[in-house]
Amino acid sequence: MSVPTHFKSGRSGEGAAYVSDHEGSAHARFMRLSAYALAPLGVLSAWWLAGLVGRDLNGVRAEIGHPLPAIVLILFAVVGMIHARQGANEIIEDYVHDDALKEKALYWNRIASIVIAGAWTFAIMLIAAPK
Amino acid sequence: MANAGTDERAARRPLSPHLTIFKPWLTMMMSIAHRITGAGLYVGMALMALFLLGAGVGGWLHTLTGWLASGFIGGLIVFLITWAIFHHMLGGVRHALWDRGLYMDPQGRELLAQASLYGGVGLTVLLWILKSLAG
Repeated sequence: MSVPTHFKSGRSGEGAAYVSDHEGSAHARFMRLSAYALAPLGVLSAWWLAGLVGRDLNGVRAEIGHPLPAIVLILFAVVGMIHARQGANEIIEDYVHDDALKEKALYWNRIASIVIAGAWTFAIMLIAAPK
Repeated sequence: MANAGTDERAARRPLSPHLTIFKPWLTMMMSIAHRITGAGLYVGMALMALFLLGAGVGGWLHTLTGWLASGFIGGLIVFLITWAIFHHMLGGVRHALWDRGLYMDPQGRELLAQASLYGGVGLTVLLWILKSLAG
């Protein structure tokens, strides 16, 4: 007597809605690896961001308009916003259950993270550019 | 759609009512705080990107965005961002330790939760003291 097992991938087969063999482990690995970079970048960035408070344009330039803070702040924003996008994806997937709304939220999360990292990078380049 | 039936049944599954039935343990609160500081940093990065863009472009744009890092509100925004960075970073350290199976006993995880809570506040205060000393 043989019992057919009917194995089907959880990705596409019967019962796909119950399993999540999608990108969980890649996501977890990325969040941890990027966190290694973000810990030192974050501490340094917090230091330079704190130095911006109450400064005028010349003060801002004096604080972060040098190669080291500029590079660190750009790396922090780029790695940080990829990490943040992944994290926000997780939040959206946890709380937004309507499929159409979820797709929309994931799409705008992607756009927003790229715009924020791009605007930040462009701004630092303007600030740190030699006069 | 072969999965129409299962998808629909999956969508109708009840969600865990964990927030309403669990006692708010510190580890649970720190888990929630990790997510809130993460989401907050997303917004904070957007605000700082606007401020930096204003500072880079100058002129009218800086007039528009300068408040984001000056005055009481701007100072508070940057202060909260630095706290969120430290809190979220220590939350990551906590997870890295747990990933390695360390501090997983009741006393250990309580200690880590407290360390990330007070450590985040402590590092933030230390940063601003050092920053004001550095001028």
